[in-house]
Amino acid sequence: MTIEQFIYGYIAKEETYQDGDIILEEGSSGDWVFVILRGQVKVKKRTPKGMITLDTLKEGEIFGELVLLQTGRKARTASVVADGPLQVGILDNEQLFKDYDAIPQQLRSLLRSLAKRLVNTTNKAVSMVLEHSK
Amino acid sequence: MIGNKKNIPSVVHLTFKKGEMIIKEGDFGISVYKVIKGKVGIYSESGTTSKVALATLGRGEVLGEMTFLHNDIEVRSASAIALEDSELEVWHPKMLESEYERMPPMVKYITNQSLNRLVRMNKLITHLASMRDQRERSPREKDPWAPKRAYYRKDVDLEASYRQIGPLAKILLKGRIKDISMGGMGLEVSAGNAVNVPHNPGDKFTVSSTLPNGKEIDFRAKIEVLNKEKAPGKLFLGMNFIDMSYGVRKELGFFLMP
Repeated sequence: MTIEQFIYGYIAKEETYQDGDIILEEGSSGDWVFVILRGQVKVKKRTPKGMITLDTLKEGEIFGELVLLQTGRKARTASVVADGPLQVGILDNEQLFKDYDAIPQQLRSLLRSLAKRLVNTTNKAVSMVLEHSK
Repeated sequence: MIGNKKNIPSVVHLTFKKGEMIIKEGDFGISVYKVIKGKVGIYSESGTTSKVALATLGRGEVLGEMTFLHNDIEVRSASAIALEDSELEVWHPKMLESEYERMPPMVKYITNQSLNRLVRMNKLITHLASMRDQRERSPREKDPWAPKRAYYRKDVDLEASYRQIGPLAKILLKGRIKDISMGGMGLEVSAGNAVNVPHNPGDKFTVSSTLPNGKEIDFRAKIEVLNKEKAPGKLFLGMNFIDMSYGVRKELGFFLMP
């Protein structure tokens, strides 16, 4: 996936990580949204049976976006861990939230619903993975 | 709708009784629903023998956003059932399309990624559910409340021609479709039609008609109820669809968006 040009306009800061580094930790608070510039990450959730990996995200993909789509959310819903050497861009919050606030209320309720659906569906998937591994 | 793009449809309110199905997985449709009153359950059933409950939505929450937001998804990815007597507001996609197009590219980009992630999670769930079903081969209990399908019915007045499926197929008959849903239709015909071709509950016909947008549709339907009292000299046939091609189902699905 190539990174579209307009994304660079949003990057406030770049960071590099080593394999296994934790960029976001489930349950911790934060309102930054990230884009992967180089490398890939694993999305993991904590369960009674240990960490399980739910998804792999690659170059150009965004993570941490739920704090944007679900205004008011602070706690991270999953952990994001570097899978090999990684370079990420941190998106300029002010610009991002200004963009988001400018869209009509009806559309925002749609995006909120999408985000909520993603959280619920992910939780459902986790519980089914656990049930399956019984 | 062609040549009439400025005409933005108004919000439609629909009510559903407890247990009625609002959206069925696999249906065509890109309208968005907002819960005004009541509770709505979201279920996935694809590839599994049992339903998987995905979410319960209450007042102010929105459903049906996936087919609206995702360009490549035009069928509903999950079913929605009224868990209580519920009232929903339906937004025709035209209400939101231009606003969606004007959304800042970054917000659109993020939205698309969340959507793709959601699609992946739904696939994972379906996969896990089908593995579970295979593992638990024991006969599952029947669904205690198989939901009753609540079809959105539109009043129309469409010319239709129809023929018996049977020995009298040669005789072409005419009638008018007065209302139509994804499940069936009301067909008004002249009482004289029944002189040469029997019109009784259970009789099957092939039917052709043209939707107001010019799209031709044909399908097979069966008479469920017969009403002779509605208008003098007329028969009113309550018919259920028994066979409909993918293409026709799609045309009709989009025509019948609330």
